[in-house]
Amino acid sequence: MLDLEIAVNRPQRWDVPFGSDMRDEDVDRLLQVEPFRSMDADRFPAALPLRGILQNDTRITDHPDGSIVVREGDYGHSAFLVLRGRVNVVLEGLDPETLGRPPKASQGLFRSLAKMWRNPSLPEVRKHPVAENKLAVSRDQTGDLANTRVFLQDVPRILMGTRSVSLHSGEIFGELAALTRTPRTATVLADGDALLLEIRWQGLRDLMRRTDALRHHIERLYRENSLRVHLRETPLLTQLPAEQLEAVAAETVFETYGNFEWQANSEADGEQSPTSAIVNEPLIAEEGLPSAGLILVRAGFARMSQRHGHGHKTFAYLGKGQMFGTAEAIESYRSGNTAALTTSLRALGYVDVLRIPQSVLDKHVFPHVPDNLLETLHDKRAVYCTHHHCDLPHEKIGGQPGSVDTALLEFLVESRFINGQQAMAIDLDRCTRCDDCVRACAATHDNNPRFLRHGQRHGSYQVAHACMHCVDPVCMIGCPTGAIGRDMATGTVRINDQTCIGCSTCANSCPYDNIRMVEIRDSRGAILVDDATHQPILKATKCDLCVDHSGGPACQRACPHDALVRLDLGNLGKLSQWVNR
Amino acid sequence: MRPFASRRLTNSVLTVAGVAGITAWTVWQENKLGRADFHTGYVLIGAVLFLACYNLRKKLPVLPWTTSSAWLQAHIYIGLASAVVFGLHVGWKVPNGFLEISIAVLYCLAFVSGIVGLIWTRTLPPQLARLSEEIIFERTAMIRAQLRDRAQRVVLESVHASGATTLGEFYAERLQEYFERPRRLGYYLWPTNSLRRELLAELTAVRRYLSDPEQEKCEQLFALVRRRDDLDFQVALQWRLKGWLFVHLGLTYPLVLASCLHGWLAHLFDGGAL
Repeated sequence: MLDLEIAVNRPQRWDVPFGSDMRDEDVDRLLQVEPFRSMDADRFPAALPLRGILQNDTRITDHPDGSIVVREGDYGHSAFLVLRGRVNVVLEGLDPETLGRPPKASQGLFRSLAKMWRNPSLPEVRKHPVAENKLAVSRDQTGDLANTRVFLQDVPRILMGTRSVSLHSGEIFGELAALTRTPRTATVLADGDALLLEIRWQGLRDLMRRTDALRHHIERLYRENSLRVHLRETPLLTQLPAEQLEAVAAETVFETYGNFEWQANSEADGEQSPTSAIVNEPLIAEEGLPSAGLILVRAGFARMSQRHGHGHKTFAYLGKGQMFGTAEAIESYRSGNTAALTTSLRALGYVDVLRIPQSVLDKHVFPHVPDNLLETLHDKRAVYCTHHHCDLPHEKIGGQPGSVDTALLEFLVESRFINGQQAMAIDLDRCTRCDDCVRACAATHDNNPRFLRHGQRHGSYQVAHACMHCVDPVCMIGCPTGAIGRDMATGTVRINDQTCIGCSTCANSCPYDNIRMVEIRDSRGAILVDDATHQPILKATKCDLCVDHSGGPACQRACPHDALVRLDLGNLGKLSQWVNR
Repeated sequence: MRPFASRRLTNSVLTVAGVAGITAWTVWQENKLGRADFHTGYVLIGAVLFLACYNLRKKLPVLPWTTSSAWLQAHIYIGLASAVVFGLHVGWKVPNGFLEISIAVLYCLAFVSGIVGLIWTRTLPPQLARLSEEIIFERTAMIRAQLRDRAQRVVLESVHASGATTLGEFYAERLQEYFERPRRLGYYLWPTNSLRRELLAELTAVRRYLSDPEQEKCEQLFALVRRRDDLDFQVALQWRLKGWLFVHLGLTYPLVLASCLHGWLAHLFDGGAL
């Protein structure tokens, strides 16, 4: 007779360690090295001991001369400590082919067909329901450089004329990408043979929580290392001579607004009236007050608004790389008098900004910017389009945003949908509710769709409950095993089913309710239950943008009426193109 | 020009050009006393098979066979062009013979159901989008039951609060059936708001006899009647959007089989025409 249930042990955080080769002797040696030597083991709880973190959340990796440790643009989940040897941080972009980024191979026609043929008839059947060490690292999911070395030939020639920095034993790198859920900003190469300790971000977070010195050190690195990269990416400062850029960097002020773990309050925020919600948002710059320079958004989103009646009217949102206060700063520079701000800027959730004081702009920036660019920028309230946003085919940096009506803008901002890089937007005027999208998703994902064709509406537009692969994926914050993370090559937020322990942290953290916990079955169809509690074993599931299939998301390809689209809602240009089709 | 308008123009021009080419070729063949009907037959059966393949594409979403939207565009324009080819094939006359008439009827029904589907898929979604609530079709029975339970609760609370049965009696007489039963088939084919207007008018007429606590409950009943009508309207439109496809598909397979049989017989008895 067929078993209806099978009892297995519930997966735990450290069932699958980060590095399978970490021995007790390695941990002992690490405990003799700074910064671990100075750490107070008593400050760590019994369930999360320092030894346990080092044993399970770190791994020691050997990097031969010329091998790439991290690549610019990859999404990283770990930081590195140089244990022995030296590494070179290349501060300028290298050619992708040099960095060993082959074109992505997706499943071919016959493999796709065979997979569909082999699909079990029941939903959520797992071939390997319980984690096995050998399955922990799935290369096609992580593209892990620690397991797949990429070497550079003739490193001196490649580095000739590029700016690089050497890091020695005891120095940490890669912490920025690991802690901020953002892509790596530089490529790091081993300079001679190097021995590194790789710490996955969950472990780094726990170490920082309980070690003040490490926390302060990493925060300082974070501020120092990211500033120049960000300034260099800012359109206004791209052409600035190196000397002037250094002067700007020295005077730039870091500011942070809002709560880093903003999703915790998202439900309460949603209950507020729109008028009070906007007033309660942390104010970065206020309309009517004297302009104090230029504000650059480093991370997160900010709302630009203007007083209108008894409320505030949103007319743009700014994301990473965008500037605020340009027109006023230029006006102040030209007239010699401080201009008043014509709009307000408020933090949406969490935002990191850089403030360049007016005196610095007057002295080091504006004199070096061509007059025609200054003229163009002066006509705008903000630079809406950057390299990251608004890539309209014929749009130049500094161009006008596409036309999106204010009500739609307010809806997207208030619901925080602007965080979504691959949101599922449905044009209800075209959607025939045929559910072809749902069936296509189920056919490509364990017979269970990874989204709900339902969600918040604005007029005839709906944002469905499908993972949006957010700019700031807060779902990753609490995952104890690192099962949810960015695909290094594509940036897609994915769940490693083997390391997911079904704790529901990600599902509870997602402010958009886009992650579903499902009960899983073995290949005979029996539901798996925990041996101890007899509760079902759960796994987190969500949209993975069909990264393993050729052609992109099956939902979008299955829509007969062009009603459904995966869209970057942080990009006003693309949104405007879609709305005005 | 907007992308959709541009696509429509390109596809229309291509279709008209294709149809004009086939027509010219047929006329040319006939003018030189040739037999074009076998060739138009091949084109027609090819078009019908291609149109039927769209359903296969839908069944195999994992395959990278372009997008469903591109398939639908091809399906629409080839379907429209096939009507002209069909006319050329039958010589713009009613065919004779049982099989030929059956195929012609099947083709015409499939074509008309396709046109109806095209019109409905373009006109019904905006009507659905104007409703305040978006409902998943499979959940309608559950929502209907919830509305019925809420209406019953409202009436019972009214009776308990006021001790009067005026609203209860009206509910039992006029609203109970409305909340408990689905609408008739006629409503699904042609939904109107006449019943809603009728019930709301009757409820308004009854208000003058209600006490204050009953008035409050009556307001809730007004809202529930409206919600139920919106739900029925939404279900009717979604039912039509799903239903026409069953008819269209149901006609496609017999048409494909009968056409193949017709082609085979035509070859068997070609009488040296080829």
